[in-house]
Amino acid sequence: MMKKMMMTGVASAVFALATGSALAAAPADWSKVAATNVDLLYPGVSPVEWIMRGPSHGGARVLKRGESCTSCHSEEIGDMGRLIVSGGKIEPTPIPGKAAFINAKVQAAHDGENLYLRFTWKQPEASGAPKMDEANPVKIAYMLEDGGKVELAEQGGCWGSCHGDARTMPDGTDGKTKYVKDGSLANGVYYDLNQWRSGENKAYDGHVADKRVMEGGQALVAAEGKLEDGNWSVVFTRKLTGGEGDVALKSGNTYNFGFAIHDDNAEGRFHHVSLGYSLGIDADADIVAKKQ
Amino acid sequence: MAEQDSSNTGARGLSGLIAALRRPSVHYSLASLLLVGFVAGIIFWGGFNTALELTNTEEFCISCHEMRDNVYPEYKETIHYSNRTGVRATCPDCHVPKEWGYKMVRKIQASRELWGKMVGTIDTREKFEAKRLTLARSEWKRMKNSDSRECRNCHNFDSMDTEKQKKRASVQHEMAMEDNMTCIDCHKGIAHHLPEDMTDEDWD
Repeated sequence: MMKKMMMTGVASAVFALATGSALAAAPADWSKVAATNVDLLYPGVSPVEWIMRGPSHGGARVLKRGESCTSCHSEEIGDMGRLIVSGGKIEPTPIPGKAAFINAKVQAAHDGENLYLRFTWKQPEASGAPKMDEANPVKIAYMLEDGGKVELAEQGGCWGSCHGDARTMPDGTDGKTKYVKDGSLANGVYYDLNQWRSGENKAYDGHVADKRVMEGGQALVAAEGKLEDGNWSVVFTRKLTGGEGDVALKSGNTYNFGFAIHDDNAEGRFHHVSLGYSLGIDADADIVAKKQ
Repeated sequence: MAEQDSSNTGARGLSGLIAALRRPSVHYSLASLLLVGFVAGIIFWGGFNTALELTNTEEFCISCHEMRDNVYPEYKETIHYSNRTGVRATCPDCHVPKEWGYKMVRKIQASRELWGKMVGTIDTREKFEAKRLTLARSEWKRMKNSDSRECRNCHNFDSMDTEKQKKRASVQHEMAMEDNMTCIDCHKGIAHHLPEDMTDEDWD
């Protein structure tokens, strides 16, 4: 308990320093920052165990040879979402009216101290289904990984953390969260995880190693989201370097990146997920954060 | 005594027939005999082939309820049954070789299935499902060993333009070409449901 309080204190001090810096500021005009279009599909029940088995996923063979999800699926993400959300494939409990996919725009910038990530998307129509997460109509989370130490992180974004025994999966266990194979903070085998929840209006800085931890990170400074005219805009401000469980971002490097939106008061697996992308800090990548 | 006479008569009859067959004809010209033989040959050969081809039709395959009720409805849901081009591959197109030699070998092998039919090896849905993996493995092995010969009657890497394919198909086909893979390596279950107890080894 004492340790946790101390860590919170340190984190607060770091946040205060970060926000107090005159240099640190999000882009004043985001329209001048290049945007990358990313479709997030409704994934149904497609954990690692499903995508890595040939009898279930025909792409398992090329995946094992190192191809990424996008190399086959980049042009058909919406179609995949439609097939799955309707119950045509890998969704045993379809939710009528659920969005098949969400098109989001991702923008990134940095100022040498902080990384700024902006996500914008059109709010899909509500399904009208019972609310799984009463408190939060929308949650958005992104994960970062350094060096491809996490199996599938380079090829499939967040997929490396998605397992068939996790909560809300048909064969899942209550309380079982995301985890990665051989997950270990000490060995650098983890995803850095940041999340913003709309109802609570709160940001979480955690990680996924042998389990998902929602707090303890020291990189996230703030996350702000707003819904205007049916369009969401969420901006994360994250220090380039944090502490344990925070991927340290360096200019000239690229990192594995994926994100997910829990739309329609969704919980657990009933979210929309991006495939795997790369985030470059002043480096060529799918999403590039240039210095302002 | 009477029995002995009868047996002697029988022996004489057989050897008499053989002797008659061996004796050159004194009544018919060689041309007549050749003509009769030629015509009879056409009739017998034609009849044999017609009968053989009758067994090479979808109607014949689904005349047994084992095929009609199990694998046929699954096939009807697939692109080999209904597609935008109107080309249909029926049961024998995939499961019986076109070349005569391979076809005869397959037909002789398939005669075993008559025994299965007689003793009711898969005469209920439950029995069929219990044996589905064994049956599928047998056919996958046959196709693998023949380099998917029946698939290649219509499909060929040489005439395949991967640039016109969806990305996911082009990536996989280009990899398959590099690795000298054969159609059935990936396309198991393209016309029938995959066995639920299929293992990863069956795929790899």
